[in-house]
Amino acid sequence: MSKRRHITYEFDGDLPEGTGDDAHWVVYTRKNAGGPARWAGYLDAVDVDLALQYSREHYGLDEACVGTLIHRHDAMTDSEYGLEPLSPASAKGDDGEPWVVFVQKGRGNIHIEAGLVHAPNARTAIARGIASFAGGKVTNVRVVLQADCHEAMQEDLAIWREHDLSYKYARGYSKDVRAKWRTFRDEADLEGYRAGDIKEHF
Amino acid sequence: MSGAANPVQPMCPCEGEDPEKLAQFEQRIAEGVHIEPGDWMPEAYRQGMLRMAEHHANSEIIGALPEGEWITRAPSLRRKLALTAKVQDEVGHGQMLYRVSQELGKSRDDMLRDLVMGKTKYHNCFNYPAPTWGDIAMIQWLIDGAAIMNQKTLADGAYGPYVRTMNRINMEEAFHFKSGEDMVLTLMSGTKLQKQMTQDAFDRWWAVSLMFFGPHDKPGAETMPAMRWRMKIEKNDSLRQRFVNRFAPAAKDLGLIINVCAKDEHGYVTSVREDEQCVRDEATGNWGFTDPDWDEFFRVIRGNGPCNAHRLNLRRFSHEQGDWVRRAGAHGTITTPPAA
Ligand SMILES: [Fe+2]
Ligand SMILES: [Fe+2]
Repeated sequence: MSKRRHITYEFDGDLPEGTGDDAHWVVYTRKNAGGPARWAGYLDAVDVDLALQYSREHYGLDEACVGTLIHRHDAMTDSEYGLEPLSPASAKGDDGEPWVVFVQKGRGNIHIEAGLVHAPNARTAIARGIASFAGGKVTNVRVVLQADCHEAMQEDLAIWREHDLSYKYARGYSKDVRAKWRTFRDEADLEGYRAGDIKEHF
Repeated sequence: MSGAANPVQPMCPCEGEDPEKLAQFEQRIAEGVHIEPGDWMPEAYRQGMLRMAEHHANSEIIGALPEGEWITRAPSLRRKLALTAKVQDEVGHGQMLYRVSQELGKSRDDMLRDLVMGKTKYHNCFNYPAPTWGDIAMIQWLIDGAAIMNQKTLADGAYGPYVRTMNRINMEEAFHFKSGEDMVLTLMSGTKLQKQMTQDAFDRWWAVSLMFFGPHDKPGAETMPAMRWRMKIEKNDSLRQRFVNRFAPAAKDLGLIINVCAKDEHGYVTSVREDEQCVRDEATGNWGFTDPDWDEFFRVIRGNGPCNAHRLNLRRFSHEQGDWVRRAGAHGTITTPPAA
C-alpha cells in the first residue's frame, strides 16, 4: 500500500480561492437500442467532451445499458409540475427546430424520453409536447433542443460491457451468497433474512 | 453508503412564512405529494433539505477513503474489481447528492471547501480505522446494510429530486451490501485466522453500526419539522431496532460473538465482554442490545475521533492537488501541478 495513506497531512491557513462550479449536465441512460433515454443523474463538467466521458464512466457502467444521453441543465425547459396530470392540449404544428421531449409520469418519478416535436421556441415545444405525449398521464414535460442533446453509444467505447461485469451487480453475488448461507442456516431462516433485502434491487 | 440520519431540526421553522402557503405545503406533504422544483417551500425546509443532502454527499466522498485504502491490497482480482467499482459508486453518489444540494442553493465549490475546512460534517462512522480486510467486509455488510435500511426510508420522503436520487443510489447499495455479505460469509467459512480477523473487525464495527442511525430520538420527534415534512421518515431508534433484528441473528448464525467493547483513542478494542442483552424477546420479536457509548459518539462528532484529522486532511490534500485542474477547466489557465 502506498505510504501516502499513512501520512496525516498537516495544514494551516485557508484554502486557495475557489473556482466556482463547472457546468451542470443532466444524464439519461438507454437500456436498449431504440429504447427511451431514462433519467439517471447529474454531473458537473466544463465541456461536452468531458461530460460525455464522465457520463460513460459513471452512469454508463452503473447499470446494464447501451448508451447515455446528456444535456446541459440550462438547456432544458420544464413545464409547470402539475399536482394532477397535465390536461391534454391540442397544440399542433411542425415549424421550427426539433426538440427532444421528456415526460414525468407522476411527481417524484424520473423523466423519460417520449419523442420529438418541432417548435420555434421552448414554450411552443412544451405545448406541442403535451399535445403529442402527455395523454392525460404526465405531471411534467421537459423539452431540450435536439441540437443540445449529446449521446454516447456503445460503439464509441470498445471495452464497454464486453467483459464480465457481474462483480458490480447485486445479482452477481446472489447465488454464491445463498449457497454459502446454506452451510450456516436452514431455508426458513434464510427466507426471513432475505426479506430484508430491497426486493426491487436484488 | 450514507449519512443522512440527522437532518437538522430548525428551531422556529416557520417564522415569517405566509401561513396560507405553509398550510398548503403541509397539506400536500400530508397527502403524500412530492415537492418538485419550482414548488413553494418554507425557507426552513429548503435549509433542512440542503443540510441533509450536503451531509449525505460529504459522507459519500469521505466514506470512500477508508475503503479506497484497500483497493491495492484486495485478496483477489474479483474483489479488487468489486471494491474499485464500489468506491467509484460512492464518489458517484456524492456527485449526485452535491447536485441535489446545489439546486437548493449552495455551490459545489463552497460545499467541498466547507467540508475540508471542517465547517460542515460527514457521517461519524468514517472516523474509525479499517486496519484489516475484515474491516472492509464489515463496512460493506454492516454500514452499507445500515445505509440501505436508512435510504430505503428516505426514498419515501417528500422532496422529489432527493427521492429520485435515493432510488438510484439504493440500486448500487444493493451491490455493496451483497458483496459485503459474500465477503463475511467467505471469511467465516475460512480458516481459524480468518474467522478471528472477522470477529475482531466485527468488534470494531458493531457499536459503530448502532450509532449509525443517530442518537436517541427526542420526545415528540414525529411532530418536529424533519418528520412532519417527510425529510426523515422513520425514527432513529426504530431504524436501529430493525437493524439489530436483522443483523444480530445473522451474526450469531455465522458464529460471530456480539460483544460490548471498550476502545482506545485510536478506535482499537481494548477489552470485550459478550453482550448478554443480545437475545430475542419472544413477546415482541425484538432483539435486545447494549446501547453504544453515546459520549464517544458526541466526542467523534466534535472532531475528536480516531481518524477525523486523517480523513479530513487527506481530503484537503486531494482538493488542493486538484486545484490546478479546476482552474484550468474554469478559466483556461494552466499552471504547474503542486508537488505531491
Ligand atoms: Fe455504499
Ligand atoms: Fe453510497
